[in-house]
Amino acid sequence: MSERKNFNHIQYILPSLLFILVIFLIPIIYTLVISFFSWNLLRPDLGIKFVGFKNYLQALKDPFTWETIGRTFYFVIISVLLELIFGFSLALSLNTEFKGWKIVQSIILIPFMIAPVVVGFAWKFIVNNDYGPLPHFLINLGLTSITENPLLANPTTAMFMIIMADVWEYTPFVTLVLLAGLKALPQEPYEAAYVDGASAIQRFFYITLPLLRPSIMVAVVIRTLTSLRVFDTIFIMTGGGPGSATETLSFYGYRLAFQSYQMGYSSTINLISFFLAIIFTLIYMKLIGWDSNE
Amino acid sequence: MNKNIIIKIVSLIIVIIALIWTLYPLVWIIFSSFKAPLEQFTIPPKWIPEKFTLRNYKIFFSNAEFVRTFFNSVLVTTSSTILALIFGIPAAYGLARFNWKHANLLSFIILLARMTPPVVMVLPFFLISRYLNLSGTYIPIIIACSFFSVPFAVWMMQGFFSEIPESLEEAARIDGCTRFEALTKIVLPLVLPGISATSILCALISWNEFLFALVLTGQETRTLPVLVNMFVSEKNVDWGVMSAAALITVIPMIVFGLLVQNNLVKGLTVGSEK
Repeated sequence: MSERKNFNHIQYILPSLLFILVIFLIPIIYTLVISFFSWNLLRPDLGIKFVGFKNYLQALKDPFTWETIGRTFYFVIISVLLELIFGFSLALSLNTEFKGWKIVQSIILIPFMIAPVVVGFAWKFIVNNDYGPLPHFLINLGLTSITENPLLANPTTAMFMIIMADVWEYTPFVTLVLLAGLKALPQEPYEAAYVDGASAIQRFFYITLPLLRPSIMVAVVIRTLTSLRVFDTIFIMTGGGPGSATETLSFYGYRLAFQSYQMGYSSTINLISFFLAIIFTLIYMKLIGWDSNE
Repeated sequence: MNKNIIIKIVSLIIVIIALIWTLYPLVWIIFSSFKAPLEQFTIPPKWIPEKFTLRNYKIFFSNAEFVRTFFNSVLVTTSSTILALIFGIPAAYGLARFNWKHANLLSFIILLARMTPPVVMVLPFFLISRYLNLSGTYIPIIIACSFFSVPFAVWMMQGFFSEIPESLEEAARIDGCTRFEALTKIVLPLVLPGISATSILCALISWNEFLFALVLTGQETRTLPVLVNMFVSEKNVDWGVMSAAALITVIPMIVFGLLVQNNLVKGLTVGSEK
């Protein structure tokens, strides 16, 4: 009986397991292998040479690698923090009783369904110094110093514009996760706190926040993972520029492979991204308790 | 009592700001798609066009290449979503129903496949499809899209399957059904809303995929996000046609997404209620 049962579940899982293993592990192993080679796609005459750890040493020694990792984390931390603040305020607001919230929720969900390429285009258009509405809005507010240079041509504002596009696209996700968490909170602690005469602010800090911690952590880790992969909006809005002010790890890996054609070195840089993805995936699994059952 | 009113007012203000913030770029693009070229370039920019014109949409739909791009997107999205469901549903069922000692490892691989940055996968995909002489065909892009949607389908459907009590199937099996019959006749109809939400989200992943499409598609197999990018990278951007193309790209997904909204939210937050 147990043997039959065993056969049974393998039969369900095997096709997709094989699919994922073939499609996922072969490219990863391939990346690992070519990260030890020097291979320029435009110079077939140089051949594909084994260079040992040379790419890794170069990546570690080059300050640009560290600057790019720094920029990536700057982007991730600021966007996730803003998404958390906005998403939380919005989730708390939508958790109050009001008839129109259902429609509001649908509208707020829309950015999440829009292709990141289109999000990038929309914001690029909006912040365009000549034809976009935002710079003129800022000028009307008297903030002329910000709009002296085109917003995407100034290193500081360019990064902030990318963050803004990301916040626009993913705040809905954070809002929905937190709202689902808020709706699932037990009522008893609130009733007890009400009897004890706790103020709204006390109730928020001593009941809502601690009870909601799992949802907050899930939102933060998933968003960290997904914003580490940011590429589309950067590609469309700035192409990594001005200079390399908006170049993140993903974009750097892409540029090395498809603009400098250095297959080996690009693979090494991509493995750094992959390594970060592994770490945060493990953290996520620990959070939702997938590592603890047996 | 007073405090409640203050909270309500603050909530209302936050919601209104959120609505304006959300709709701001959308409304701008919608209006721009109805503007004639001259009106695109008024300084300062005007929101509402003086004369609504369908010119931009006509240009899009009268260009055979653009229309082809649209159907490429439909083809790639449909094929990869079907693949995701064929592979994903049985695996999700297997994971939800059987205690397998390697289940954690498998969950890790599935989640990692879902979370791996696309840039890590795109280079080996490019080199391998070049080696296999598949460049310029639909095969690499369809497989690449299913690479993202299969793990997603497994992950999401697992949540929906585990909500169906096992006793239902057991009852069916006592009545003489095999496990497979119990699955197809009893369980699948019950998780149908979950399946529709999963397929929409899988479709969303493939429809919106850009990096793989950029690297793996040729002129013949190009999808909509790549077309949008081509407009943006031109020196003289025709913002009007561009806006129309952007809207044509996003409208199908917004419509489908809102249709399955409730289950979509549930699927997106799998694991977060635990």
